[in-house]
Amino acid sequence: MKRTFYILSFLLLAAGCGDSDAASAPQEWVWDLPDTVPEPRIPEDNPMTVAKVELGRFLFFDTKLSANETQSCGSCHRQELAFTDGLALAEGSTGDILARSSMSIANAGYAASLTWANEAVVLLEKQALVPMFGEDPIELGMANMEDELIRRMRDDGDYPAMFAEAYPDQMDPISLDSITKAIAAFQRQVTSFGSKVDRWQQGDATALNESEQRGMALFFGGTNEAGVEDAFECFHCHGGFLFSQSSDDAGQVFNQKFFMNNGLYNLDEDGSYPAGNEGIYEMSGDPADKGRFKPPSLRNIEVTAPYMHDGSIETLEEVLDHYARGGRLIESGPNAGDGKDNPNKNTLLTGFAMTEQEKQDMLAFLHALTDEDLLTKPAYSDPFAE
Amino acid sequence: MKTLTILGVALALASFGCDSSSGGNGGAGSQAVTIQFAAKVGVDDFVCGATYDNLGANGNSLQLGDFRLYVQEVELKNADGDYVAVALTSDENPWQTGNATLLDFEDACNDAGTPEMNTVVTGTVPTGTYDGLRFKMGVPFELNHENPATADSPLNLTTMQWNWQGGYKFLRLDSGTFSMTDWRMHLGSTACDGDPVAGGTTICDNPNRTDAEFASFDPANDTVVADFASLVEGAELDVNQPETPFGCMAGPTDGDCAPIFDNLGLPFGGSEAGTQQFFSVE
Repeated sequence: MKRTFYILSFLLLAAGCGDSDAASAPQEWVWDLPDTVPEPRIPEDNPMTVAKVELGRFLFFDTKLSANETQSCGSCHRQELAFTDGLALAEGSTGDILARSSMSIANAGYAASLTWANEAVVLLEKQALVPMFGEDPIELGMANMEDELIRRMRDDGDYPAMFAEAYPDQMDPISLDSITKAIAAFQRQVTSFGSKVDRWQQGDATALNESEQRGMALFFGGTNEAGVEDAFECFHCHGGFLFSQSSDDAGQVFNQKFFMNNGLYNLDEDGSYPAGNEGIYEMSGDPADKGRFKPPSLRNIEVTAPYMHDGSIETLEEVLDHYARGGRLIESGPNAGDGKDNPNKNTLLTGFAMTEQEKQDMLAFLHALTDEDLLTKPAYSDPFAE
Repeated sequence: MKTLTILGVALALASFGCDSSSGGNGGAGSQAVTIQFAAKVGVDDFVCGATYDNLGANGNSLQLGDFRLYVQEVELKNADGDYVAVALTSDENPWQTGNATLLDFEDACNDAGTPEMNTVVTGTVPTGTYDGLRFKMGVPFELNHENPATADSPLNLTTMQWNWQGGYKFLRLDSGTFSMTDWRMHLGSTACDGDPVAGGTTICDNPNRTDAEFASFDPANDTVVADFASLVEGAELDVNQPETPFGCMAGPTDGDCAPIFDNLGLPFGGSEAGTQQFFSVE
């Protein structure tokens, strides 16, 4: 009897959702990637669908996801800046200044670990909870407002239908879980492999000019004018299809998380960085982890200034000078110290001689990593910006 | 005749146990048990929003607005001296899931809280007599690192999530108006490691689960007391290590945590684990 009732009510509900074609199978996701790039790893419990990605795009850019409805994910991850914000340090919805600079979400689905320095957060679904509910610092400020968040979605004119389409098997599809999954699905397909360097790697010999080609050679281990092989050492940390060694994909069988110290600071004999921003040391407590951060992808690096985890270097020229010196010297003030001598610094960062031409070639190559399509592609854009 | 009656009662109890508890206790009879907890600040009961004086090494005053903690693996000592698990009653009980219980002593006197409170662990144990208790403050590893967005109550409260490390705040204590200069303590596992290939958290080097054991405990008459004053004994509540959160967010580099961890019987920064003094029995 009871069972009959359940079946009956299920049929009624199914009929209720079925007045359009919503009951039919969701449109499967098809990756549009160059054959030089693997597909990203997709969690079994969050398959990609067209409807879910589109829902995720709306959620990503919706200020309803912040307590005071002033910020969305997209406030700190702006498409025209390759999903960064142009600030040295990000600012939360209630004015808290974060310790770190907003990272690009382009290709975040391939990151072996997420954010600048966190060993534990490896899934976009879980990472989304940090800005939404974190209290120290406050970003979107939604802690203890999960019911209000669900209510905002239910009361919206468009979301109930969008959730139903994205989660056709769920009777009550608006939930925190469905929100984080849709945002993660949207982020996974914000890929960026359309730069001039990609076209070169796909066999277009005209894609890079001579200066860009010389810069690429130096980047990937070429001999500099001073006669040193692999003088620049860039690719050891920024290699692979992401231009970051910290990469993962559907076929990867090894854990490629990667953190290193690049000699930005050296406050004392332990190699300390400014307190409150010392890399994975803050999680592990191991002094050898002081200053160890994830090398970010260099894709679109031209448009994601300022640079480093704390936005403390303004231009790519200065970044190159930093590596040429083998670490940063800060002569006075609270952060005084020579990063070149940081005891935790990666041993490859010994510095190198760089002529002005080599510098210009390196810059030309780094600029050739910009994917113009990423910055304007409608499928990645803010649906509320009209 | 007598045998039959006992058998009948035992069967009834056994089937009752299977229906109402998530654990079940096999063929033997089981009995319901309730373990009482209380939150205190020294000799005073904790009242959400009240101000307490003479706290910590410098005798400071704090207005306390949150006092919540998870306990796991609650076990009672039977007549043979063996500890047996309390099978938690989690059906229709939003405070318990798996082998974790949320104890909630605040009443939403501040924005982060909930009006509802819970001061008990309820479950079943095999029929018998019990005279000792042990438990951990924490959430079991398997539950701690599942997806909090799909977790059952009470693991779905966003204010108890500890997302920067993955997992939950095992203990949450807030004071004042929740500004960045108000003393707070949030404790969870730290130094956690994740694996992008496996897709989850693999290990936390600092589990930070306090062990509490009371060789003498009468479930019918005794209460476990969590005492804030004992927790912060020796801690300088008005002093903050520069560039760290005010209070202790359990960061392994925040020296303000050292005396508090010691009072919780937890190692900190290479120190040996001491004996916990946060929990006592009355």
